[in-house]
Amino acid sequence: MNSKIVFGQYYNSNSWVHRLDPRVKILSLILLMVVIFLIDNIFFLLGFFGLTILVILSTRIPFTKFLKSLKMITFLLLFMFIFQVLFRRTGELLFTLDFTLTIWNLITIVILLVFYFLLGKVFKKFRFVQLLLILILAFVLQYYWVNGKEIVNYQISVYEDSLLTASFVFVRIVNILFLSSLLTLTTKPMELNQGLESLLKPLRALKVNPSIFTMMIAIALRFIPTLINEANKILKAQASRGVDFKEAKLKEKITQVVSLIVPMFVIAYRRAIDLSDAMEARGYDPDATRTSMEVLKFKMADIISLSTICLLCVAIIVLKIVF
Amino acid sequence: MNVIEIKDLKFGYSSKRKILNGLNITVKEGEYITLLGHNGSGKSTLAKLLIGLLEKNSGSIIVNGLELNEENVNQIREHVGIVFQNPDNQFVGVTVKDDIAFGLENRRIPSQEIKEEVFKYSKLVGMEEFLDRNPEDLSGGQKQRVAIASVLAFKPNIIIFDEATSMLDPLGVKEVMDTIRSLVGKKTIISITHNLNEAKLADRVIVLNKGEIVLDGTPQDVFKEKEILKKANLDITDSMKLIELVKNNNDLHQEFRDKVEEALWELTFQK
Repeated sequence: MNSKIVFGQYYNSNSWVHRLDPRVKILSLILLMVVIFLIDNIFFLLGFFGLTILVILSTRIPFTKFLKSLKMITFLLLFMFIFQVLFRRTGELLFTLDFTLTIWNLITIVILLVFYFLLGKVFKKFRFVQLLLILILAFVLQYYWVNGKEIVNYQISVYEDSLLTASFVFVRIVNILFLSSLLTLTTKPMELNQGLESLLKPLRALKVNPSIFTMMIAIALRFIPTLINEANKILKAQASRGVDFKEAKLKEKITQVVSLIVPMFVIAYRRAIDLSDAMEARGYDPDATRTSMEVLKFKMADIISLSTICLLCVAIIVLKIVF
Repeated sequence: MNVIEIKDLKFGYSSKRKILNGLNITVKEGEYITLLGHNGSGKSTLAKLLIGLLEKNSGSIIVNGLELNEENVNQIREHVGIVFQNPDNQFVGVTVKDDIAFGLENRRIPSQEIKEEVFKYSKLVGMEEFLDRNPEDLSGGQKQRVAIASVLAFKPNIIIFDEATSMLDPLGVKEVMDTIRSLVGKKTIISITHNLNEAKLADRVIVLNKGEIVLDGTPQDVFKEKEILKKANLDITDSMKLIELVKNNNDLHQEFRDKVEEALWELTFQK
């Protein structure tokens, strides 16, 4: 019961970014994303990235929180970077590397990989870094240790354009991820939801009611921790009846998941019926307009931040048209 | 003045499954009524019919002089509040203050006023220190008190408690019962329960069995009809069991038996 489940990744350090209006933050994110894609000078882009880092540092949120957002897509980023560098052959040739795969270094690499997979249970931490080191080592071996029977000899050429495009994509994606993490780290989910509702208000003209949508998000935010608690209880109940969730064959695992999903579905459904009764009894009408206890108001800091970002956006567009 | 008049109310999910068979109940302003009944006696169904969550088959329900129908159901819900059984499933807001504000937001009350009301009613149920807490941090009794505050906030004159204490631990039951007792006299209270210890607190007890009223009167009158209570599958209190034992024990002196019986009745109705 005491295990507290915190939804979202809000980090409270009460900086100036935390105190900004959520609407300003959402709009800024959208505008800045446009700016990031409009910039086509690598130095401007790096300068912009530097600015992002400065803002991040000014929030006093530990930088590791931002790095964590990269964790999920590290593989994608690396993959993309490598492919861009290897297969694009336009622009000036920068350098060519000569690699030779011999019997001996092939055997070494295979042994290293076998060790990597066999010792997975011993060295549990930093698996990804381990794999990366092995791969780098593999190429270093092929570059320097060339005696022995040759299997294949190949060259990797790096061109100016490919390196440039790869860095562009890399910096852009990292920058966008940092900015969106900045939004979620400095804004509570409910504030975000309220900002979204306020921003989507113009949709009412199209007979789409954004408040139904945001009410659904609010209820989801409210019930996710409750349902996770419930799921944990069921897992414990199943475990006490001898279900082993950790070590089972795939086929057994599937039936175990079913034994979790079915009761969860029934529970969620019952809760939904009770909740809709309670909401209706308290006068909720999805089509009616509602007031709100916390009213969002633009403050001076909000106006300054948003106008700065708008100016930046305009400046970039003007620069793009002129040059 | 009668705040609720129920005439020949019938309800069933299908023609075979009849839940309520022609109920007649009148409730006076400021009365504290307990609907006593076993599972499936139709007591919760009656509560849902009263606030228009279910639609009756026949008969009529008049609340505050208005006959409940599809058009004025929202108007009637302004005057009738309900606290349900499950503390978790009626907690709409992410925090305590959001939850109390929910009903007020639906009624388009201005922001400043909502804040004042939220504080006032959270204080009334003793939850003013928990305004920013999430439901996971609260006990069942605290959640039910928040539910009572959010009902009180839109100032209904009738409040229904649909087994509001049945899922709580003993401490939670006490908290919620104390809150309910603090409302007696100020609001018309309809409390639904299967527990005789809760029923004895009321001015009037109505016993339902299989969709029909079998007893209606003061707790003192109703509790004397043990056979009917047993037939309705209700558990009589321990002190009432003792009365039976003493009464049927012929070894004891008659005068002694009478005295013990009197004392035990007093114990039964001790509030």
